Amino acid sequence: MATEKTDVVIVGAGAVGGIIAAELGKAGMKVIGLERGPRLKTADFEPHDELRYFQRQDLRPDTKRQPVTWRPNPQARARPVGSLSYGNQAGGGTVHYGALSWRMHEDDFRARSHTIERYGLSAIPQDSTIADWPVSYAELEPFYDKAEYELGVSGQAGNLAGKKVEGGNPFEAPRARDYPLPPLKMDQSGVLFEAAAKNLGFHPFSSPRAILSQPYNGRPGCTYCGFCQAFGCHVGAKSSILVTKLPEADATGNFKLVTGAMCHRVNSDNSDRVTGVSYYGPDGSDNTIEAEIVVLGTFIYDNTRLLLLSKTEKFPNGLANSSGQLGKHMMAHMMPNVFVGFEDRHVNNYMGPSAQKHTIDDFNADNFDHGGAGFVRGAQISVGTPNLEGGPLAFMSVGTPPGVPRWGAAYRDHLAKAYARHAVMVAQTENLAYGDQTIDLDPNVRDAWGMPAPRMTYDWRRPNELARVEFMMKKMEKIGRAMGGAQVWRNGLSPGAPGAHHEGGTRMGNDPNLSVVNKYGQSWDIPNLFVVGSSTFPSMSGFNPTLTIQALAFMSADAIATRYKKNPGPLL
Amino acid sequence: MAKHDESRRAFLVGAAVGAGAVAGTGMVSGALAQHRQHPKAAEEPEAAHGHDGGEGHGAFLNDDNAATIAAFAERLMPGAPGKPGARDADVLNYIDLALAGAYSDQQDFYRRGLAALDAYCRKTFNQPFVKLSAAQQDEVITALEQGKASEFTYPTAQAFFNAVRTHTMEGMFADPIYGGNKDFAGWKLVGFPGAQPFFTAADMQSRQAFNRAPITGLQAQAKIASRKA
Repeated sequence: MATEKTDVVIVGAGAVGGIIAAELGKAGMKVIGLERGPRLKTADFEPHDELRYFQRQDLRPDTKRQPVTWRPNPQARARPVGSLSYGNQAGGGTVHYGALSWRMHEDDFRARSHTIERYGLSAIPQDSTIADWPVSYAELEPFYDKAEYELGVSGQAGNLAGKKVEGGNPFEAPRARDYPLPPLKMDQSGVLFEAAAKNLGFHPFSSPRAILSQPYNGRPGCTYCGFCQAFGCHVGAKSSILVTKLPEADATGNFKLVTGAMCHRVNSDNSDRVTGVSYYGPDGSDNTIEAEIVVLGTFIYDNTRLLLLSKTEKFPNGLANSSGQLGKHMMAHMMPNVFVGFEDRHVNNYMGPSAQKHTIDDFNADNFDHGGAGFVRGAQISVGTPNLEGGPLAFMSVGTPPGVPRWGAAYRDHLAKAYARHAVMVAQTENLAYGDQTIDLDPNVRDAWGMPAPRMTYDWRRPNELARVEFMMKKMEKIGRAMGGAQVWRNGLSPGAPGAHHEGGTRMGNDPNLSVVNKYGQSWDIPNLFVVGSSTFPSMSGFNPTLTIQALAFMSADAIATRYKKNPGPLL
Repeated sequence: MAKHDESRRAFLVGAAVGAGAVAGTGMVSGALAQHRQHPKAAEEPEAAHGHDGGEGHGAFLNDDNAATIAAFAERLMPGAPGKPGARDADVLNYIDLALAGAYSDQQDFYRRGLAALDAYCRKTFNQPFVKLSAAQQDEVITALEQGKASEFTYPTAQAFFNAVRTHTMEGMFADPIYGGNKDFAGWKLVGFPGAQPFFTAADMQSRQAFNRAPITGLQAQAKIASRKA
């Protein structure tokens, strides 16, 4: 059992941990990062292999060693979910993600107030706990900018300081300057989608992605090989934390990364302070790090679980949980698909960055009038690949057109015809927060370290959310027909289970009674404890969360380096 | 599981190189299939459709179970002239190797599922699965898919169907280094060129099938990488 002392210990070396480590290291603070997985290199990601990375999920947590369970309601017994989408190595989920890099809309930060102002309180489902963010778009804008430039994001601006820019997203919130890199090249599914969406009066544009369209900061541009989501980039063109902020953290000389380190407790002296963390090493040893500041930067399950596991006399319901909000208000994007099959042309959508390539934002957020729609908040609609990845194993995992079976000669002929001649759209829906969508400790299932598995209780099939999915399906079918597809078909959704981008569990807010942390991720109860990541999101928007997570990490690091360091204590 | 895969991959690459099949198109599975060719395979009548090959097993499955899996997979992905099926792609070899390696935790699942399938076929048709006509085999598979087949407890009929379907598709479409997708049969069927190192602007503007470069499997990729190094 080893004990080390440091200024800052960060649990998780992903989107959050890499940024905070580099920024605090630059500010002269000694930082230790704990990462349960390995630290891989760009060379490790070659060759690309769909079975290994997509189907068998090599870069993601092993569901047997690190189970996460789900049940639709408290009466049901939870079962381990079959696949986990978050990261399991240094760089976290940014190593294998599709690299979509969105700034949320201005109204996304005040989803509750905005909805009430436009549609009245009755428009919000009574049991929804949707809340405003304690931070505004304007306040976060400089940190979005920093994330885009420091990491390397390619895109087409739509709103430069209030001035609309042709070809970009007209619903974009104002940005101080353009993207650091021009948009990525369009594949044929993008070409078809763009033409159809324009014909219907919508506003298509190239999705912003943390993938280099040109060489940048010593890294090469994208080769358009198509292996993004589920894969590591074999040339380092994906701006993952592994190839951006972790080398920067190393260069400060103040950062040490411990891999194979499974944090199991945040230690506290039962006062209003935490003293550090304990972790199991790869050899099973139990080790302790004493630190002035503890930052939890893991995925939502572990950010929540660690606090639940670290309860004390003072915090019997979980560390830093005097509000009772810990583990509540979980959210997930549902991802309904519509497929478009062509008779007379190839699409070859396995080419180019694989996920959510081209987008319309017309039905996201409150960008359209929801009056009479039967739901509030929207979805980003994009064209891309089945399961966000374009190989044949992804295509065999999705549904078939009506009347086509899932096996046999007709299925074989469907695959032979449709695989290289289809496009697929996905609507990434902004499901609302509800207080009974929770993460807690599973009483029946334990992980390989003997800790109770995180347990999700969640069922997306609520009237507001079902109506939104149906609305988006119809929009996508309309676009699919306008694309000229001979066949347009839907893919079924899970019976209740959460979809992509799980968020919430350690909600941020302005009121210590209604939230776990403030806008800096600082615990209201314990000022030297920070929890950063999508676990703090009060609402989820229809956008992928990573750039917002990264902007929040930059903001937290800035507050710690410029204010907390001089004057430790509550930042608010 | 990840480490398991890696060591198995290393073994497979080593085995292929040892057999003189270096970074070719589909040579690995060919080499392995030769090693694994069971004498009995040649004597047995081809079930359902008369395609050559696809009898490689011996890592996990016994002869009867191998014949059942081969026949089942062939109904899920039947071959036809110009349209390679499960036997053509050597799906059996893929599943056999997977059950001996990466999916060894599913050995009991398969044993029990195959026993239940056999009991169901004998009860319904007085014959094992491999002796049934193609139409009867399809009837059985449909009953499994719909959860209507008796004799199944663990795994359930649907779970067994889903596993065999998924693994059959993996055997069709995973890289040949894993023992299936022989000579890129599956990739040729659907028009997937494998892991190309790059696509050009012209590739991405094309409305035609991609054929600028040969299909690229893992071994070819490894060769490119070693040239660079």
